[in-house]
Amino acid sequence: MENTQQLAARTLSMKSKLKEQRKGKNKLAWTLYLMLVPTIVYFVILTYFPLLHAILISMQNFHMIGDRPFVGLQNYSQVLSDQTFWSTFGNTLFLGIGILLIGFVAPIVIALSLNELLQTWLKRTIQMIIYIPHLFSWVVVGGLWIYLLTPNTGLVNVVLKLLGIPQVQFMTDPNLARWVIILVSVWKDVGYNCILYLAAMVSINPALYESARIDGATRWNEMWHITLPSLGRTMQVVGLLSIMGILRLFDQIYVMRNAVIEPKVDVLMTYVFDQGFKQIDSIGQATASALLILLLSLFLTLFTRRLVRYDDM
Amino acid sequence: MNRRATRLGNVLFITVNLLFLLVICSSMIIPLWNAVAVSFSSNLASMQPGIQMWPRQFSFSGYKTIWSILAIWKPFENSAIVSVLGTLLHVFLCSLAGYALAQFHLPGRRWITSLILITMMIPFQAIMVPVYVTMQQLGLLNTLFALILAGTVSGFSILLMRNFFLSIPGEVLESATIDGAGHFRLYWNICIPLSKAGLATVALFEFVGRWNDILTTVLFINDPNNYTLQVALNSLISQGGSMSSGYIVTDNVKMAGIMIAILPLLLVYPFVQKYFVKGIFVGSAKE
Repeated sequence: MENTQQLAARTLSMKSKLKEQRKGKNKLAWTLYLMLVPTIVYFVILTYFPLLHAILISMQNFHMIGDRPFVGLQNYSQVLSDQTFWSTFGNTLFLGIGILLIGFVAPIVIALSLNELLQTWLKRTIQMIIYIPHLFSWVVVGGLWIYLLTPNTGLVNVVLKLLGIPQVQFMTDPNLARWVIILVSVWKDVGYNCILYLAAMVSINPALYESARIDGATRWNEMWHITLPSLGRTMQVVGLLSIMGILRLFDQIYVMRNAVIEPKVDVLMTYVFDQGFKQIDSIGQATASALLILLLSLFLTLFTRRLVRYDDM
Repeated sequence: MNRRATRLGNVLFITVNLLFLLVICSSMIIPLWNAVAVSFSSNLASMQPGIQMWPRQFSFSGYKTIWSILAIWKPFENSAIVSVLGTLLHVFLCSLAGYALAQFHLPGRRWITSLILITMMIPFQAIMVPVYVTMQQLGLLNTLFALILAGTVSGFSILLMRNFFLSIPGEVLESATIDGAGHFRLYWNICIPLSKAGLATVALFEFVGRWNDILTTVLFINDPNNYTLQVALNSLISQGGSMSSGYIVTDNVKMAGIMIAILPLLLVYPFVQKYFVKGIFVGSAKE
């Protein structure tokens, strides 16, 4: 009897202590909110407000100065009936899928190949070298490749000449330029994804290889049946990130395009940019198209998330 | 017989593998080496066709031209200001927010976290037009401050910092709380010194991103005096032979510009190697 009373008293005192503590913590909470103020203010002013404002702008005949008459869904119908919008949509698909497929396979092949190297120093050196282009800006990478591919003076064409092959106009032939853009994009990012795969390979249980070797597996067998299947998760993440990157394609095109190849390489984001900042008085239309693209990218994200189950990463 | 065949197969495998990697590596090195060689050639020699793996008529004229005559030092300075100040501000604010979100007892924590997560699903390009309008209304167009302000915080960095802070053992923080330390002191005296790797990762990502950025300058800056290096370099390269000053831009000048643009990146590269992979994984670990 006495025991339970004592116990009850103790729990009561514990309760009040906890309450006090919680009060103290709540008092401290305002400091935490203070820490979050800059972030919240930033996102409200430069992300959420523009996002909501975009919905309004997309339904206006928007002028930077002067009145902005409400036009309903006219901007949207203009975008959807614009030939250029659909051709940039097609270009985005072509370039995006090209970059996605080649950019997905290439780093896996290189990582597997690197993994077979026995000398650690060589492995590390090569890894370091192939990562370098990822660090550079698109202005640098684009400028470099445009220079290398110039007829007559560019290194690629000089080598072609030595081999007796006629000069190729890489950057003025629209169909070739598309492939140049795909391959240069892969060239730039291959090292980055490669490092992700190599990191995943390090964590594979060595016992798997040992038992395979005892069973008489060749290196090829090991690669095909042990290494590759262990990369599944990394492949999912890399694939997810690349899919989301398709609609964000902008810098590379902005840097590498020219008047001749534009109809074949302009993508959705360059369409938005051109409508918004090069055309006069089509800010409303630019915003409408941007919102359509945003909607598409949200769909794509939700779709791939469901497909890939990112959450069990 | 069989054993010999596999040994031969092994040698062949190793050789082919090495050759493959060599080809990949040279596709990365040769373009850069070529650019270095051309940048140190004289104006005339740089325009002649032929393989240039070594400077022809060694000279600094490419660098001199682009630095002083085409005055790329000004955009270089702008880029340096924007990148350094922007990165410092970014690291500070993101780590503050990350610290706050790492406190489980914070009321509304989930709500704020999802507010931040959603922003990661919105590509900047998709809202570039209304952001431009906002910047115009704030009167920030054509100022370097607009460039610093754009991207001051990002969901990615905040979550990365939060994950780093979450990995700090709770006892360390508890003992400090008992000593009566407030959140700012906990953040500054305990969490920051313990998360140097996280701070370095965020700082490097942000510095490289800002140094390489082209879109924000293209959007917000009209005045060539406030151009950043990448934009100035881009107009130099894409306009080819003609500049507003009527000066002919030879290949050695262009390549010298590219070298100047990648120099700061090569300086931070050794650190990048160390922190990027770590950062990528911490960043992608559970929401």
